[in-house]
Amino acid sequence: MHLIVTCCNRSSARAGRFTRHAVVAAALACVSLATPASAFASLGGTPESVDADRLRSQGSLVAIVRTEAFTRHELRTATGTTIREYVSPGGTVFAVTWQGPWLPDLRQVLGSYFDEYERAVRTRTRRTRGVVQIAEPNFVVVTSGHQRSFSGRAFVPSLAPAGVRAEALR
Amino acid sequence: MMLRAFIAAALFAQAVTPRCDASNTASTNFQDIVVNAGPANNYINGAFTTVTVCVPGQSTCQTIDGVLVDTGSTGVRILANRLAGLALSPQTDASGGTMAECAQFADGFTWGPVVTADVRLGGEQASGIAIQSIGASAFSVPADCANTGTEEDTLTALGANGVLGVGPFAEDCGPACTFAGASNPGIYYTCRSGICTATTQALARQVQHPVRKFATDNNGVSIQLPSIAAGGAATVSGMIRFGIGTQGNNGLGSATVLTLDPAGNFTTIYAGQSYGSSYIDSGSNGIFFLDAATTSLPMCRVNTDFYCPLVPQTFAATNQGINGATSPVTFTVVSVDTLSNTINASSGVAGPNPGSFDWGLAFFYGRTVFTAIEGQSTPGGTGPYFAY
Repeated sequence: MHLIVTCCNRSSARAGRFTRHAVVAAALACVSLATPASAFASLGGTPESVDADRLRSQGSLVAIVRTEAFTRHELRTATGTTIREYVSPGGTVFAVTWQGPWLPDLRQVLGSYFDEYERAVRTRTRRTRGVVQIAEPNFVVVTSGHQRSFSGRAFVPSLAPAGVRAEALR
Repeated sequence: MMLRAFIAAALFAQAVTPRCDASNTASTNFQDIVVNAGPANNYINGAFTTVTVCVPGQSTCQTIDGVLVDTGSTGVRILANRLAGLALSPQTDASGGTMAECAQFADGFTWGPVVTADVRLGGEQASGIAIQSIGASAFSVPADCANTGTEEDTLTALGANGVLGVGPFAEDCGPACTFAGASNPGIYYTCRSGICTATTQALARQVQHPVRKFATDNNGVSIQLPSIAAGGAATVSGMIRFGIGTQGNNGLGSATVLTLDPAGNFTTIYAGQSYGSSYIDSGSNGIFFLDAATTSLPMCRVNTDFYCPLVPQTFAATNQGINGATSPVTFTVVSVDTLSNTINASSGVAGPNPGSFDWGLAFFYGRTVFTAIEGQSTPGGTGPYFAY
């Protein structure tokens, strides 16, 4: 599966933010060659979507760590934020964490859950600031930090391998 | 009341009298803050104050209340409709594009043009600085910006008429925004015909820490709130002072100076573990720390951002600066769901924050908390640091 990581070379990583649409278009073409059904989303998606994240953030894959319960793909975006994506043995991204000076593209890393996240943020009972904790029945996300230092974690319990808790993911 | 009348008179005198030599005329270096439900009537533990924004060099001003005091960000941001009637010039770039900003916060973003204004706080003024006009309708939110979270460009969404960012950084973005290429985080945009694209922004043109641009008292701020009863309070009055050790009323005293890493963080030690991305943020409602599994605190059912212990739980931790200085803290967590809606201030508000401690406004009650600006010298050393 991880061969896909090498499909597009990393020369695009320095191509410049301001031509990103062209870079992403090229990246999409490339990914789709390798994976016809490539999902351009991360949480709830396939391992291929991890690579879509890398390309969209013009980052690099810095580590793949395998445990008995899951495989962790660690990306570093060009802006210096670390994104870790947790893939179940069944091949689904069940959790994503991020930490760094700038927020990641949350629509990209949360995928189909982004709209649910945004709706939940807007409908909280009392105004909170600084930290947001969303606990939907099938989707848990916490984001925190301040200017120049952000972190967060999104977790889909129903997709997680048995025995893996959100708290164990960093 | 007498004191307030005196302060009002002093402020008025400051506003209309041409400034004398700053070396022998002390400025009024403080103003009131208040913890209440805020202008949107939906806040708990929000500290609000008043900011006066003026057309540069003129006496045409707008005074905006309900502005959140935030040590977790840098710069003045005001809802565009609160600036209506003030002819503030938008900042433009070399090619004539209008500059706008997507300012990132943990819970969302503010979007709007960068404008140039004089900002008055207490008796002091930051002249001709860049501020953000939030949600000005001429510019629609670019997709890159919208994808970072939830838009906070209305009173309801922001919960405030603006944000007074008085954190440890001199500018909101810093060096990262000055570089072209993929490393640029895409905070500043240039707009033409309603289309905005990310661009670079020099430090001096970024949204500035207003206090750093004062003529005096420009090395930091302190925020003082009184202790409050365990059951909380509807309203709490406090003070923000400008400058650290620059006048008789803003000395560090016995406060411990905790210097910060380049990200603006120090370390909190709890139960033998060190959490290195910890910080003090008056713009956070509560003390957000660790998670339910680590703290054994249940989450609230209604206010799902917060912890809700069945009975109040007390915790002890130690904050440690990059300089090695340490300062112990104890705090008690209460159930936010059981706080009445008339309670807008409580030292027991807390919630999760995996892997770190965010010492939010709940931490400020009964303390004076100093925030020194990066690169500025103070009697406690050069900023950035927090001290309390």
